[in-house]
Amino acid sequence: MTATIVAQQAINGIVLGSLYVLVALGLTLIYGVLVQINFAHADFVTLGAFAAYFFMHVLGGSYLASIGAALVVGAVLGWAINVTIFAPLRRKGSELLPLIATIGVSTIMQNAMLSLFGPVPYAFETPYSQKVFRVAGTFFTLQSVIIIAVSTVTIALLYAFMKFTFLGKALRAVSQDRETAGLMGINPNYLIMLTFILASALAGMGGAMLAPVLVLTPFAGTTVIVKAFAIVIIGGFGNVEGTILAGLLVGLIESFTTQYLDPGLIDIVVFGLLLLMLAFRPTGLVSERREENV
Amino acid sequence: MSDAAATRQAYRSSPRRYAFLAAALAIAVLPMVLTGNYWQTNLTVCAINVLLALGLDFILGYAGQLNLGQSAFYGLGAYVSTLLITKLGVPFWGAFAAGVAFAGLAGMILALFAVRLRGHYLAIASLGFAVIIHQILLNWISLTQGPLGIYAIPPPPAIAIPGLPVIDFRNPVALFYLVAGFALLTYFILDQLVRSPIGETLTAIREDDISASSLGINAAAWKVFAFGVGAAVGGAAGCFYATFVGTLVPDAFFITESFTILSMVIVGGMGTLIGPVWGAILLTLLPELLRGIGDLRLVVYGVALTLVVLFMPGGLVQAAQLIRSKLTGAR
Repeated sequence: MTATIVAQQAINGIVLGSLYVLVALGLTLIYGVLVQINFAHADFVTLGAFAAYFFMHVLGGSYLASIGAALVVGAVLGWAINVTIFAPLRRKGSELLPLIATIGVSTIMQNAMLSLFGPVPYAFETPYSQKVFRVAGTFFTLQSVIIIAVSTVTIALLYAFMKFTFLGKALRAVSQDRETAGLMGINPNYLIMLTFILASALAGMGGAMLAPVLVLTPFAGTTVIVKAFAIVIIGGFGNVEGTILAGLLVGLIESFTTQYLDPGLIDIVVFGLLLLMLAFRPTGLVSERREENV
Repeated sequence: MSDAAATRQAYRSSPRRYAFLAAALAIAVLPMVLTGNYWQTNLTVCAINVLLALGLDFILGYAGQLNLGQSAFYGLGAYVSTLLITKLGVPFWGAFAAGVAFAGLAGMILALFAVRLRGHYLAIASLGFAVIIHQILLNWISLTQGPLGIYAIPPPPAIAIPGLPVIDFRNPVALFYLVAGFALLTYFILDQLVRSPIGETLTAIREDDISASSLGINAAAWKVFAFGVGAAVGGAAGCFYATFVGTLVPDAFFITESFTILSMVIVGGMGTLIGPVWGAILLTLLPELLRGIGDLRLVVYGVALTLVVLFMPGGLVQAAQLIRSKLTGAR
């Protein structure tokens, strides 16, 4: 019985964790290339969720297609924030100004969504949440199978892209040393744009898949993004493997805290872990070169 | 001796002294000009926000530490003072002192992270701290009553000095005078601090803490000091907020409140004291003036913050200097 509960919570944790990984990977990619944080990433998640909602419930599209729609919305937003905020401020060379500007963009987006969609939560129902499988005493919904499949494929594609394609290698080169990469004939501006589009598409997608489990309001992304920040730091800023590991870990912490402690303690446990990591091992689970911020 | 006398002499004749007098006069006159409950409420909100912005500016603008946890210090001040009053029957001013001290202490604890981290890491550590405090307020139901909130928080006790009329803080104007007077006092103290060698020390740490350390400055200790002072000021704002509104719910101290305070500091001009004052006043009153456009009015915080960062990073202060130099240049 206990073994079944543990197995069930492990499944729940991994499903949730893989969604956190999608959102956190975007932050990690941007940090790796630009050493910048995008606070509006939260609202890309929210807008992705709303895009999927309207695509499905108003336009009558299928759920899988709505994930694609959210991905496109995310990608467009990523392009837009790079053009309007990060590209102009990059020339000024300040570390904190872009971060503060993205807080501004985030406030704009949240309140714009608030006046458009209202504060009442939207009920996001997918046809797959009702289909339940039973395997050895544990329950899966078809929805969670889709989440695992889509996020695993996405993360694997991203990983392969970073490791094996020329563009991916160029991207890693830029994140290691932007100037030298420039000397090798890589155009950093083009790659930075690519990173933003990729990262934000992941956020939009994550939003579409998180929507059925979130309380879908204009502020939904904020609760996800603070966890994503914790994940990025626990995993080691800018480190892809660490982010994947930490994302799954936070998903598991969340499901086991709900089972054995109290759902209200989730954020306290996650951020307690974050502060402990920052105090004792600020380079993250998988440590890497970047230490100038510590 | 003669030095001190000369300083005092210079201060007496400085425009700064007249600015303080003008501010005191403005505080005295405002509730008489802006009569009615609505405006007097807004005036007190302005004064509370000025305190919050001043506290954050001392940490962010002077010591250069990107603190996104100001909402936590605000909440701690509010809850600690209120719980002492309602649960233990501590007199208001004792509870006020405890709330301020507790928030200051929490700031110093968070500063222990700031000593090791900087930039983005500190931003996220302080944000995490704010999330934890908000969640504790929300979930420690036996103490804080969680999302149900605490009601019927009394106003500060009336002050009765023999021979003078009794000052009753149930009167909104009296409460405004109290909060605004405290904000003015805070401004005065911080102004003295930042123009003393302490201010120069903090600025040196902000510009380059490694060089500052090489000059024998104990950067870690000064960061703890700056966080302690800034958080204590935030805590004082929290104490006033609780007694002013009369009810407390944890969501008043959600992390987005930190962003609002940050907007006030940046829009006004961080690293100056007068900037955050104007930033706080502008961003408190502007959404009120825009009530006609519904929830969309809250967009002004974001729009103001983004535009200022992109086009005028020095905020209102920089804009004022620009206008002044244009005017004098044209002459």
